[in-house]
Amino acid sequence: MGLERLEEVRSAFLADLDAAAGVLEAVERVRITYAGRKSGILLELTAALRELPNEAKRDYGRALNELKKLVESSLKEAKSHASSGGASKTADQVDVTLPGRTSPRGAEHPVHLVRRRIEEIFLRMGYDVESGPEIEDDWHNFEALNIPPDHPARDDQDTFYLPGGNVLRTHTSPVQARVMESRKPPIRIVVPGRVYRRDSDLRHSPMFHQIEGLVVDEGITVGNLKATLETFLHALFSDDLEVRLRPSYFPFTEPSAEVDISCIFCDMKGCGVCSGSGWIEILGSGMVDPRVFEAVGIDPERYTGFAFGLGLDRVAMLQYGIPDLRQLFAGDQRLTRQFE
Amino acid sequence: MKFDAAWLMDLLTGAPGADEVADRLTASGFLVELREEGDGGEVWDIETTTNRPDTMNHRGLAREAAVATGAKVRPLEFNLEETDESAADFASVEIADPTMCTRFCARVIKGVAPAESPEWMQRRLANAGVRPISAIVDVTNYVLSELGQPLHAYDLAKVGGAKLIARRAEAGERLVTLDGETRKLEAGMPVIADAYEVVGLGGIMGGADSEIGDDTVDVVLEAANFDALTVRRAARKLGMHTEASHRFERGADPDLPPLAIDYAAALIAEFTGGTVCEGRIDVRPRPYEAHQLQTTSEKVSRFMGLDVTMDRMAEIATGLELEPVVDGDTVTVTVPSFRVDLEREADLIEEFVRHIGFEAVPSQLPVLSTPPGRRNPNWELVDRARDAAVAGGLAETMNWSFIDPSADAMLDGTVLCPGPSIGLDNPLASTQAIMRRSLLPGLMTAVRDNLNQGERTIAIFEQGRVFWLADDGPAESERLALALVGSAPVGDGVVEFADLKGVVEGLLDRLGLPEVQWRRGGTPWLTEGQGAVLRTGGDRVIGCVGKVADSITKKWDIKTAVFAAELDLTLAAEEIPLQQFEELPRFPAVTADMTIEHSTSLDYAELTETVRGLAGDQVEAIDLVGRFAGKGLPSGSVRTTIRMTYRAGDRSLTQAEVNEQQEALRQGLSDRLGVSFA
Repeated sequence: MGLERLEEVRSAFLADLDAAAGVLEAVERVRITYAGRKSGILLELTAALRELPNEAKRDYGRALNELKKLVESSLKEAKSHASSGGASKTADQVDVTLPGRTSPRGAEHPVHLVRRRIEEIFLRMGYDVESGPEIEDDWHNFEALNIPPDHPARDDQDTFYLPGGNVLRTHTSPVQARVMESRKPPIRIVVPGRVYRRDSDLRHSPMFHQIEGLVVDEGITVGNLKATLETFLHALFSDDLEVRLRPSYFPFTEPSAEVDISCIFCDMKGCGVCSGSGWIEILGSGMVDPRVFEAVGIDPERYTGFAFGLGLDRVAMLQYGIPDLRQLFAGDQRLTRQFE
Repeated sequence: MKFDAAWLMDLLTGAPGADEVADRLTASGFLVELREEGDGGEVWDIETTTNRPDTMNHRGLAREAAVATGAKVRPLEFNLEETDESAADFASVEIADPTMCTRFCARVIKGVAPAESPEWMQRRLANAGVRPISAIVDVTNYVLSELGQPLHAYDLAKVGGAKLIARRAEAGERLVTLDGETRKLEAGMPVIADAYEVVGLGGIMGGADSEIGDDTVDVVLEAANFDALTVRRAARKLGMHTEASHRFERGADPDLPPLAIDYAAALIAEFTGGTVCEGRIDVRPRPYEAHQLQTTSEKVSRFMGLDVTMDRMAEIATGLELEPVVDGDTVTVTVPSFRVDLEREADLIEEFVRHIGFEAVPSQLPVLSTPPGRRNPNWELVDRARDAAVAGGLAETMNWSFIDPSADAMLDGTVLCPGPSIGLDNPLASTQAIMRRSLLPGLMTAVRDNLNQGERTIAIFEQGRVFWLADDGPAESERLALALVGSAPVGDGVVEFADLKGVVEGLLDRLGLPEVQWRRGGTPWLTEGQGAVLRTGGDRVIGCVGKVADSITKKWDIKTAVFAAELDLTLAAEEIPLQQFEELPRFPAVTADMTIEHSTSLDYAELTETVRGLAGDQVEAIDLVGRFAGKGLPSGSVRTTIRMTYRAGDRSLTQAEVNEQQEALRQGLSDRLGVSFA
């Protein structure tokens, strides 16, 4: 008996503890073997102290104390990390398949989820995110955008009128006019927001949401418009999407283009969503009409620009497969909570 | 608009197949939305934009298709034979007001017999969405559909004085239109009258009295051009929308009537056995003056971001019948009378972009010349609030911006009410007639609808704007409202005021709004004694929080307790400071609890304010440990235990020092509030 024996026990203890592999029951068995109050090996080693010659007692005692401390702290450590395991289920074991205790989770409306995704894409391209009033005057909603009174284009936007010649904005475009009136180019903005049209059926709601984009600078080209829309739509949907610009007409852009994406549901084979055409109409766009520049005091000889707009609700419906626009505004928490 | 595909293809020579023509039409701005089987061929539903009335007919669209495909348009050929009798001997025309009618052509056809139009014409008309009626009516519709000129045929015997006058209506005049409706006319509306009375609405619809019938022998045919705005205003006032008004409103070709009327007269004579009198009556106060537009290939190339040759531009302009004259880099075009949309250089450039096509333009992102994007403060604010609400466990809803007048009336004079309400002039429904001044009515509707869906526990919010009439016009403010029903968000109980308050406090913390005071109030929306009004350090009332009053829940037919809150974010934003770092404490704190027995009339806010007033500047925090009421206490009394945290900035405080301060505090509270200590 001596220091060699202590070293032997020390190695054996560490090996046994290691073999216990953090299982609580096994760690407990190691404890009983070494530090058990009735027959632990440490008791035996302590008893051995008395048998030693006086000159050896000092070194042995010190080493024994160190060993005791090691056993005590190692066991404590092992127990605190131990988990229940093995075949026998005891009271210490939990059913890991039970649902967890949670704090309540909230959820944002899908239209806002889409809005923020789109904002992020444009923020990264250096666009500012702007906002404006929902109650607009006729000038900003129509006239500044080259839609004079009695213009047939007013028929396309069934308008809610308010006293004092005001309207509920029929699009987010009036914010374009407001920003151009107050700021010198270069301008690079997107404008999300709520808009209103006097229309209600499966595909129309009197209240919906748009996001509008505007870029004004020297030398802005049709190619810039095309590349920007392609980049945006690829980032929003997928890189292998096809994007098609078709000439169209809007009073505030010239030339104007409707923009279609290849149908994300049928891979252009034709389905119910794309009415069999393989294309989904996703946004309207065009080069800013010089008359709009004149109305807001920007020199159309010096500057060109492009603008585009799309329905956020429509993107949310496409992206999440929501069939009825009106479901978005029914206040139903079950819909929102699907997006927790 | 519906087109007969075979008819369209028949107008083209050297065109590719129908599929290619449809694709090229779509690519040049005429979306072929739908191709379906019609009578003996396909019917194409094509989107013609409002600025291009010249393409709302087969020949006009064929012109575009020809340019888009490199084909040619077949010239219009017909054979018009005239008799020796002069039309002017049988009928006359007068334009009384050249501002409403710019041209009026007429022809007289004598001796017509009742007939049907030939089958091929009926088939084409049916495919174009027009119901065949009789040879004469069908011809007018056919010429409209081929050339775009609205025409009208009168029974000459029923035209009083054999005279047609284009003038504006006088107030109170009446007309029974072809559809059998009696129209009461307003002063200024465009009409055609005979020598005695109104016989038609100019540019909109003819009258029933002079309609062609089986007994009609002689016909006077009208092809005129009416002022767009005059027609548009009249049609809107009368609630009418016809094939004719649709074209005139958008601008018809002033030089088309002579050709159209000759073509129609020839066809009518052929189908009915009638004879066409010599001479076309043509009244034209002011001839169309063609104007010119100019641009350069350099400008078009720079605008598109693509090198465009002058040859290509000239080719497009020629196909569009713009008579281009090229001088070096510059092209000058003469705008034909049918192109009412070509007013400026930009309109001309659009033609080149359309026909060169977007697909030819290389994609090139603009070069950044602006600083990194930033979100404007309003979006930062509302999204911060939205995030806070989501973190508080609430599900977002979107409710209507317009509400029922009876719900709106309940807001008058309440703390939620920002000012007088704004009503819609033309609401879709009477229940959506007023712009909301508070989000709570809409949220109550959402609560009710969720309950009706069988939801037992509801935790929802809405972020959106409210609207009111301020002194200087309409005003808007961003708000956030929330509602809790059923189980409490934390713990096992049902929702109580404290649960709601916890959620609202979380919101205020995340918004970074300091020092909000909670004061009793919020009636009549909130239950007396269970409502609070929030007041900021700057003395702004920014919201209310509490249990919704029974009178309100009853209005929404809700039978369960609703806890709700509404915050005005725009107002609150005025007082949100920038987050600042505070030096971390260097010495430990000492805490000491104190249990105070007091009357329920002393609220916690007043108690802690008094404590704060009495305590020295070493008191860092006062927190609630708990409140006890009931057994062992006289009724009307409660015990409130608070935990005081003391800390000195320059040393460690001793327990003895803290005990001394606690004792002084007890003495002070006892003197000031008459409370006792347990």
